[in-house]
Amino acid sequence: MSDVHASLRSPLVTGDKTISDVTRDICAPMDRKPTALWWSAFGLSLTALIVGVAAVWYQIATGIGTWGLNKTVGWAFDITNFVFWVGIGHAGTLISAVLFLFRQKWRTAVNRSAEAMTLFAVMCAGIFPLIHMGRPWLAFWMMPYPNTRGPLWVNFKSPLLWDVFAISTYLAISAVFWYVGLLPDLATIRDRSEPGWRKRITSILCLGWNGSARTWLRYETVYLLLAGLATPLVFSVHTIVSMDFATAVIPGWHTTIFPPYFVAGAIFSGLAMVLTLMIIARKVMQLEDYITMTHIDRMCKLMMSMGCIVGLAYGTEFFMAFYSGNGYEQFVFKNRALGPFAWAYWTMVSCNVLIPQLLWSRKLRSTLPVVFVIVILVNVGMWFERFVIIVTSLHRDFLPSSWASYAPTSIEIATFVGSFGLFFTCFLIFCRIAPVIAIAEIKGAAHLKKRPPAESITEEKAA
Amino acid sequence: MNDSAKKTYWKSFAQRDGCLDANEADPHQAGPAPFSRRHFLEAAGFTLSLATLSGCGRAPEVIALPFVDQPEGMIPGRSQTYASTCAGCPAACGLLVGVRDGRPLKMEGMPEHPLSRGGLCAIGQALPLGLYDSHRLAQPLASGKVTSWEDVDESITRLLGEVKQGNGAVRFVTSTVTSPTLKAQIDAFLAQYNDAKHVTFDAVSCSAILDAHEKTHAARVLPHYKLDQANVIVAFGADFLGTWISPVEFTAAWQTRRAPTKKHPKMSYHVQFEGRLSLTGGNADRRYRLSPVEYGGVLSHLATTLSMLAGEDPPAGRLSESPIAATEIDHLAEKLWDARGASLVLCDSQDVSVQVLVNFINHLLSNYNKTLDIQRPSRQRQGNDADVLNLVEELKAGKVAALFVAGTDLTHNLPDHKAIAAGISKAKLVVSFAERQDDFASLAHFVCPDHHPLESWLDAEPVAGLVSISQPTLQPLGGTRSILESLARWSGDSDSAYDILRASWRENVLPRVEPRPFQAFWDKAVHDGFVNATPIAPTVSEFQSDTVALVDAEPSGDDYTISLYSKVGLTDSRHAHNPWLQELPDPTTKITWDNYVCVSPTAAKELSLSNGDLVRVETDEGSSVELPTLVQPGQHDRVGAIALGYGVRGTDRFADIGPKWLEGRPTVAPGELVGKNVASLIETRDGELQYTVSGVTLTKSGGRRDLASTQEHHSLEIPRNVAPHGAEVRDIIQETTLEEFAQDSHAGTPHAHHHGDTQLWAEDHTKSGHSWGMVIDLNKCTGCSACLIACQSENNVPVVGKDEVRRQREMHWIRLDRYYSGAGDDVSVAHQPMMCHHCDNAPCETVCPVLATVHGDEGLNVQAYNRCVGTRYCANNCPYKVRRFNWFKYEREDALQNLVLNPDVTVRTRGVMEKCSMCVQRIEEGKIAARQRDEPVVDGNIQTACQQSCPAQAIVFGDMNDPESKVHGAFEDPRRYRLLEEFNFRPSVAYLRSVKNREAADGGEHHV
Repeated sequence: MSDVHASLRSPLVTGDKTISDVTRDICAPMDRKPTALWWSAFGLSLTALIVGVAAVWYQIATGIGTWGLNKTVGWAFDITNFVFWVGIGHAGTLISAVLFLFRQKWRTAVNRSAEAMTLFAVMCAGIFPLIHMGRPWLAFWMMPYPNTRGPLWVNFKSPLLWDVFAISTYLAISAVFWYVGLLPDLATIRDRSEPGWRKRITSILCLGWNGSARTWLRYETVYLLLAGLATPLVFSVHTIVSMDFATAVIPGWHTTIFPPYFVAGAIFSGLAMVLTLMIIARKVMQLEDYITMTHIDRMCKLMMSMGCIVGLAYGTEFFMAFYSGNGYEQFVFKNRALGPFAWAYWTMVSCNVLIPQLLWSRKLRSTLPVVFVIVILVNVGMWFERFVIIVTSLHRDFLPSSWASYAPTSIEIATFVGSFGLFFTCFLIFCRIAPVIAIAEIKGAAHLKKRPPAESITEEKAA
Repeated sequence: MNDSAKKTYWKSFAQRDGCLDANEADPHQAGPAPFSRRHFLEAAGFTLSLATLSGCGRAPEVIALPFVDQPEGMIPGRSQTYASTCAGCPAACGLLVGVRDGRPLKMEGMPEHPLSRGGLCAIGQALPLGLYDSHRLAQPLASGKVTSWEDVDESITRLLGEVKQGNGAVRFVTSTVTSPTLKAQIDAFLAQYNDAKHVTFDAVSCSAILDAHEKTHAARVLPHYKLDQANVIVAFGADFLGTWISPVEFTAAWQTRRAPTKKHPKMSYHVQFEGRLSLTGGNADRRYRLSPVEYGGVLSHLATTLSMLAGEDPPAGRLSESPIAATEIDHLAEKLWDARGASLVLCDSQDVSVQVLVNFINHLLSNYNKTLDIQRPSRQRQGNDADVLNLVEELKAGKVAALFVAGTDLTHNLPDHKAIAAGISKAKLVVSFAERQDDFASLAHFVCPDHHPLESWLDAEPVAGLVSISQPTLQPLGGTRSILESLARWSGDSDSAYDILRASWRENVLPRVEPRPFQAFWDKAVHDGFVNATPIAPTVSEFQSDTVALVDAEPSGDDYTISLYSKVGLTDSRHAHNPWLQELPDPTTKITWDNYVCVSPTAAKELSLSNGDLVRVETDEGSSVELPTLVQPGQHDRVGAIALGYGVRGTDRFADIGPKWLEGRPTVAPGELVGKNVASLIETRDGELQYTVSGVTLTKSGGRRDLASTQEHHSLEIPRNVAPHGAEVRDIIQETTLEEFAQDSHAGTPHAHHHGDTQLWAEDHTKSGHSWGMVIDLNKCTGCSACLIACQSENNVPVVGKDEVRRQREMHWIRLDRYYSGAGDDVSVAHQPMMCHHCDNAPCETVCPVLATVHGDEGLNVQAYNRCVGTRYCANNCPYKVRRFNWFKYEREDALQNLVLNPDVTVRTRGVMEKCSMCVQRIEEGKIAARQRDEPVVDGNIQTACQQSCPAQAIVFGDMNDPESKVHGAFEDPRRYRLLEEFNFRPSVAYLRSVKNREAADGGEHHV
């Protein structure tokens, strides 16, 4: 039956692979010594990370004054980066959980790395609210824990507190989801490894996986449940992040459209980042047979549709400002498009709405360099979206006497670069120590050839 | 179940069975061990040796309390208030010094004082910081080296003896001395020498007014202007609300005529002619842009028109073409004529013939002895420029043998520095009384530092018949000595300043009051701070009409005229070392830490200058200076204005002020000073120092110097390219005209949608006890910024330095928003003090994740500093942007400066949000005091720092739950409005709409 489908749809795995080929190909990067390309990428990322760590250390030692903020613009790069990274972290759960529930089998090629990406992106995101505090060493005060300060408790009215819960929940669920999905593959690695430290570690980490039907049954149940649990998070996290702005009184922030707008934007940026990583990974790690042009094509379509939703949100915002009859509101949007930060606004519109329209063309969708440039631009555009929302709303609010400008300092830029450093360092390490594609899942989803006679038994057992 | 209660627990079988082993017996049950003779001797010996040892060393001396006999009513930690006189400038306002544990901390205005009426300006407020300044000289200097008073006295006495023998000229230069005792002391000191003279030199002189009165009234006096008697005020350049002569007094008097009510919709009519945009001009009902060289022309026309109205012959002379339309002059003349006897013409010109014309006009209008008093003249400016110029000539000629300078920096404030310095070097004895190494002191042979005014006994007679006392409020911090004592030593006396002052009062003041025993009189005078004495009236002649002549207005031509002015809060160089005042934004330009050339937008366009571009100012006499540009709307197109009092020696100390970090720039570049001294541009003409210099060329010189402004956008009009249709101008400032107000006291209310007045948390914010509120009368507020420094002093607000201000990170809790309005280059100015509004529905409170900012049960929005983690969400969400974040740890210069801190207010650490607390510490103090007296809090007993010192009494604070309170009444005022009311933040701070005495403008005024 599945063979019938396979002939209608483009295959998920190309290159005429057998089940053991899949295992071998995907595990290959872990067995080989790192390539020069990996080393140089790792060196670059680590340098960026070190720069970022130095910048954060300096900023914590000296004060938030080392950022370009002022009495009017209290947030800029910090929260922009936070929302940017949280947004990127959305695609992972979307692909793993939502597409899983919708039985989209093509997701198996990308879900593992998308989940890892989510994890690392949320880690990057989490750093910013922490270091943006004037006194980050007191960050634990944001937690509602029993304390000796009398009746002093956290403020449950504050969206920042909701953020704490939303982000930490999301991080926890994403990590568990990622880890649970990794279990069969960890067992595969265990079984493939020579006795040694890797075997010992994976033996512990795979929680005694034995490949029995009962193990698989439990595993699939847990995975399904986790997917169900994670799905609402795709919507809740960015909804809550958007409430940081939507519940404020500042024109440009105080907007009811923000929750869906932010969720769409988050998925959009997340898909762009997944694509960015996939395009690099398939090339660098020779996974062209697993991450095929079909995958890229589908991701492009998904991304473009999200881009259109985001574009609709931009238009709606403008319409609502006009329709509200509120002068302050109208001013903010005119000021965005024509004021001192118009360049940022138009960067955002071009990158997020105009350029993705190119993806209507099938030809462009299948031209990798074009897709790569577009996804990079979408990443840029989505960063600017958050910058525009935060900075242009704050810098000119109610009283013209307080209007101010904003420009980042070197420390802020270094911190931003450092967050990329952290992200890619983690991702590169991940590529080395775990299969970037869910071996077990892809075997189940793709219709592979039977095992040729010469294959060993051990691999099959694990799979 | 109940068995468990009866259960017994055992540790061992033995215990259970009741046979305790000997080993387990309770050791405490054993009897006391026998204390043997041997043990006794051991212990006794040890004790004895310890006792002996402890007697050998000296125990550290700890002074728990400085008092042997605690003065009555003195409670450690509680503030005591002493009456004194402000010595920040010669205006000599009444001062109440708040002293705590021997430290003067807070300067407040003395409400009973007849001149200042409870007001105090920024300079007065900033006095304590000047006191706790480690850069003040602590010892006398001889040739720049620290020495002892004995050596100095010996050398000076010896040199004076030589001068006396050689009949050398002794010149004693002071700024205006309002102290009768010091004046007498100087006179007595100089009387010992044959050729001796006391020269009064004011850095910003009003000498021409005195000289004009010498001509017209045969008495060199400065009239005492009574603005509270004036219905029509016409000022030519005189910045009487900002810096001119006695701004606090004038503001206090001016505001009495600026409060129209529904019943009496009347107020004074104030017209200002000026070249630059001054604080006073910004508050005028009608303002004309007029170059200072044209004052004479307009005054001539005014004098001629008024003469005709009076039926007298106009003064002789040619009448040149008026720069102002004839109808305007006629209109103004009519207004003045209708208000004769209750009008006032003021002018700050240093041209005697112009001042004579002013006297003539005031005479025509019968204003003398009504709105200007020359029977009881003012002594607040006594500078005699002719004497000064004479002295300069003498110095250059090497004719001065001994030169003494007190209270002013002679060389800094005069042009031709080089020649004067050379002249000084020819003198045998040069003595400075400066409190720090200023420019003159660096040239002097001896520097005999005087006490800080808060450390010394002195008196003042700012207006004839009002004698006030200045009393010390702490032991002198350094080895300084009162000038009274120094002069006494050199005359061979050893009296203390206190004795000298008492003797002087016994002799000179006591006879002028109703007879009573001296001690009782003295005690009361020290307690009250001032006495009303019989004035010593000058002999004033009838008006000498023959001295009056019309002034031929100089054609202004294409050259620029430079107007040298004093900045509000600094005036002349003497406060340049005070970082509070340096960081005080200019009320009009909003710029800190610099002086600059103000040019009109038209002139800037012609010269292709923009803010911060360096411009070279060259006079036709060859002096030049290079300063950054400030494009100033409302300025005359041919006038450039530069503030005096900058470029003061020693201000390079501020290089280190403010946080130091990677991208931080020093406030003062290496080798530079704060601003530049422009005294070299002062011209001397007709025996007067001229602060108006014509024939100046301005050229763009290429470089740039960033100015640190606290405000970037200057009007309520939205920039045209982003202005939404129908909301081009924001109604943040509400304004109306007297005419409209008379018809409808609610005139000026904008049409806005109000979406109810819902209390979001009515149960939480019951405010059943007090409900603190504040109302600020925008009609009275002049923008003088005294409140800003009062708040800084009260609330330990740090100084952040130029770079941080440039980055829009000043920490002042009160911001004085200034908006320009009006069409074209003619602007009017609105000032709006902006502090935390303590909203009922506070946007900041809901968003703080850790509840660091919460609502108090008396309506205050309270900030818990030690709970704040610094997310800055509250500041982002504040619609008024009044929250201030501690971006860095703001260090003070040194430990001495920490003495200025108010112990009632927490010093905030880095990373914490802060803002106006409505002086919660004062509220609590007032409540505790009332509770101790077992009576309710009386309205007016609790005053916030800003309210207390406001010279215009524009701020009303109190309990809105008290129906009798002033603030409750002000909330009912038809002029009352709340900012951004349509958003329902329910702020506790409200404003009273500004009313200008103008005819209703057609179509309304537009903010530009």
